This record gives sequence, structure tokens and C-alpha cells, in this order.
Amino acid sequence: MNTAKGAIAFQQTNVVYPNGVVGMKDLNLNIEPGEFVVIVGSSGAGKSTLLRAINGLNRVTSGTVSVNGTPVPQKEGRELRELRKHVGMIFQDFRLVKRLSVMSNVLIGRLAHVAGWRTLLNLWPEHDRAIAMRALERVGITEKAWTKASQLSGGQQQRVGIARALAQEPAIILADEPVASLDPVTTHQIMRDLVTINQELGITTLVNLHFLDLAREYGKRIIGLKDGELVYDGSAKTVTESDFKDIYGREFTDDDLLNEDAKL
Amino acid sequence: MSAVLPKKPAKNWPLILGAGGFLLLMTIWSGTGIGFSLSELVCNIASGSRLLQESWPPDFGFLPRLVGPFMETVNIAIIGTVVGGMLSIPIAVLAARNLTTGKIVWFADRNFMNILRTLPDLFWAMLFATAVGFGPVAGALALSVFTVAVISKLWSESLESIDMGLPEAVRAVGGSWLEMIRYGAIPQALQTYVSYALYAFELNVRASMVLGLVGAGGIGMILESQRANFEYERVTMIILFVLVAVLIIEQFSSYIRNKLA
Repeated sequence: MNTAKGAIAFQQTNVVYPNGVVGMKDLNLNIEPGEFVVIVGSSGAGKSTLLRAINGLNRVTSGTVSVNGTPVPQKEGRELRELRKHVGMIFQDFRLVKRLSVMSNVLIGRLAHVAGWRTLLNLWPEHDRAIAMRALERVGITEKAWTKASQLSGGQQQRVGIARALAQEPAIILADEPVASLDPVTTHQIMRDLVTINQELGITTLVNLHFLDLAREYGKRIIGLKDGELVYDGSAKTVTESDFKDIYGREFTDDDLLNEDAKL
Repeated sequence: MSAVLPKKPAKNWPLILGAGGFLLLMTIWSGTGIGFSLSELVCNIASGSRLLQESWPPDFGFLPRLVGPFMETVNIAIIGTVVGGMLSIPIAVLAARNLTTGKIVWFADRNFMNILRTLPDLFWAMLFATAVGFGPVAGALALSVFTVAVISKLWSESLESIDMGLPEAVRAVGGSWLEMIRYGAIPQALQTYVSYALYAFELNVRASMVLGLVGAGGIGMILESQRANFEYERVTMIILFVLVAVLIIEQFSSYIRNKLA
């Protein structure tokens, strides 16, 4: 689908928020193009901070984040827009324009690829409409293309969110708690979609999750964060119960599992 | 069965008497200040009643001659609303703390809006009349400014209360500031914009009649000329006509606004 590669590297990266909260502490991390990485940790551990540092939504205080060897620009502007053009993001709360059609929402993923005067006048080239339609096909909701986003179910809205990211023809997809507002059945569908997209298109995919069984089921590589620090980095196959205890700093309960019958 | 009510607290008589006395004193002071006296009012009531007698019945024969000027009034209001409504968009966006491009721009825009609102529509009519001459064009320009003053302030507050998640998502796909406004912010506040624009139109229909009094054209100008000629039966006719027309416009506008809400 595209030639841009999605390598990510953190070098001694720190994020301290204006209120003094440490979001990231001395992070060293390399992610190869095409990897599927699940990031786990309790709330406030710095999962979102990590994702948002990659597309420059959060500034880093010291150290560097780079994408394909280029440092992420630390101010708004043409360079940062150029980077974001190839980095898709999926949100817990979907973030769709509720009163617009599904198609219009997916076209938003083409904003950085199309001349500004065209996007402001809503005059999308045929080429970009075709890309948006293909993105909808991939998540299987072409028949909803002209439906208002507000009329879709949660799972369908998240699919539109994924299609919007795909329409960017991204090298990297960042999914920030993509299933936290969905029911268990929809959750598995969305996770499978993300895995399939990663396998078929080779898009580097980072997913924040707080359910441990989901992390283990869908992750290839698991990264554990605690208080902004990297405390685990390894294969999903070999992660143990005690590793999870280290990450969460406590015994875990049924609340940490999506499916209460699942055993770790 | 009978519930025991706690003892009713005593009324604060000093406060009530104090406040009442203060209001009374203020009224007397203000009345003497402007030379208002009740006895004079009663003595002059006779001339008031003569005025009322001369004003009745309304001169229905005058009705056909009102339609043209009233249409002019409505035209002035429409131009004022459209031009002012379009100008309000950038002014409101830059005055919204969460969307503006920088502190200096925000501060300058806020103060610009405050100045527009402080000066009354009549002032703008006089100003534009000096610039382009007395007539409907001056009226339309004055109402454009008035519309900006009404919409931009109200709408910038609506814009400040939108969910910033969507604008951030537009930023995250690589969208520019304008694209963030176009796709992330405005869709969330579009309904309130239309609602405020209709409200501004209602105000403009009424304001354009006042502007007519000072020569900005429309039905206000006819009202003033008939009053100056002591044609009170025609004045009554104009007032009735305007009353009905304004009621119809307001009903229509509030119907649409309710549909949007």
C-alpha cells in the first residue's frame, strides 16, 4: 500500500508534564517496521504518553523520539504535519465528526495528502475518494458509507476510526485503548481487524490495552510500563503471571481480564 | 400525625426596610434629577389622550404603500445578517481560547469584539452614513457590524465549550490549523451558529427600523416622515403592520431554532 517504513526509536527519552507528573522516564526502546506491539500498564503508567510522543501530540522534555531515523519535530508546523501524514491514530472515544457521513470521516484521513484549498472546500479528488472507499472495504462497512457517523454502533464507529487511519496509507498505527469503550464481542472483532491489517499491510502497530488476557492473546511483543518506566519488554508467549504483577505492582483481579473465565 | 415544623426564622426587617428605603431614595433622587414630576404628568395627560384619539382608527388605505419600504427593511436586515454572519466566523474562532493561534491574537480579537459591542448600532449607522451617504447601504453596513458584535461573542463561547478530542484527531492525521477548525471544531458548533445567526436576523429586522428613523432607509424612514407630518392614523397603521411582520418573523425563526436544538 505504501513504501514508507515504520521504525520507531526512543533514546533516553523523558516526559515531565507542566504539573510535575512524570509521564516517561529514561525510555530506551526500538520498534522495527511491521511489528505488532501491545503496551500494558495501570492507568497513569505512561501508555498514552508513549504513543502520543511518537506523533508529536505530546512534547518530550529530554532525549529523542525518532521515526525512520528522523527526530519527531517538537513544534507544530509543516515538518510535524509531514510526519503525522503517515502515522494513523485510533482513539478510545473514536473521535468522529458525528454529524457527517462515514465517508466524510474517512476522507479526513486524506487531509494531509490533498491540497489545502480542496479540503477546505470539501472538493476531494477521485483518487482520494477511491483510497477512502478501499479503507472502508478493509474494515467491512462499505454499505454504511453514506450513513451519519452518529447512527453507528460503538464497534462500527471504531471501524470508521480504523478506516480513517488506513486512509492515511500509514507506516505506523497508534491505537490508544481502542477497545476500552466496547463490549467483549466487538472487542475481539476490532483486535482481529488490527492484527489482520498489521499482517497484510505490514503497518507497524502499537496498541495500548489494559486487559491482560487481550494483551496476551493478540500481542506479539508486550511492553510493560510502570510510573513512566519500561519494566517489561518481551514476547507475549513467554510473559508470566509474575511479570504482570511486576508491571501492575499488585495482585491482579478479574477486573484486569476481559473474559472472567480466562486463565493467564 | 402532625409533623412538628421547626420554628420559622424571623424576618430580617432591618434588611428589608433598609433595601426598600434605599430603592425609594434612589428613585426620588433620579426623578428630581431629570425633572420628572407626577403632577405634571397628570396635567399633561389630556394632550396624551388627544394624541391617542387622533391615532385611531388606523389608516388602512396606507397599507399598500408600506410593503415596499418594509421589504427594504428586510433586505437591509438580510444583508447585515449574511455579511456580519460570515465576518463573525474568523472573529469568533480567534477569540476562542482553545482554538486561537496565539495569546496576542486572542487578546487583540477579544478587545476588538468588546469595542464593537460597546458602540451602539446607531453610532455605526451615523458613521457609515458619513462614509457612503444616508440610505439603505449605510444601514446594511451598520447592521453587519452589529451582527458581528452579536454572533462573534456568543459563538466564541460555544466554541470554547466543544470537545477538543476531535480537533486533536484532525491534528493527528497531519491536518493544518485551518483544517482543524474546518473539520474538528466548526462541525461541533454549527447548530449553535445557525441558531445565533437567526437570532441576529430577528434583532436586525427591529434594528433596521430604528436605523430608518435616522435616514438609513426602509420602513423606519416612512414612520419618521409620517410622524413629522402629524399623520397619526398612518403611524398607527405602520406600527400594527410592523408588529404583525415581526411576530411572523420571530415565530418562523424560533421554529427553526427549536428544530435545530
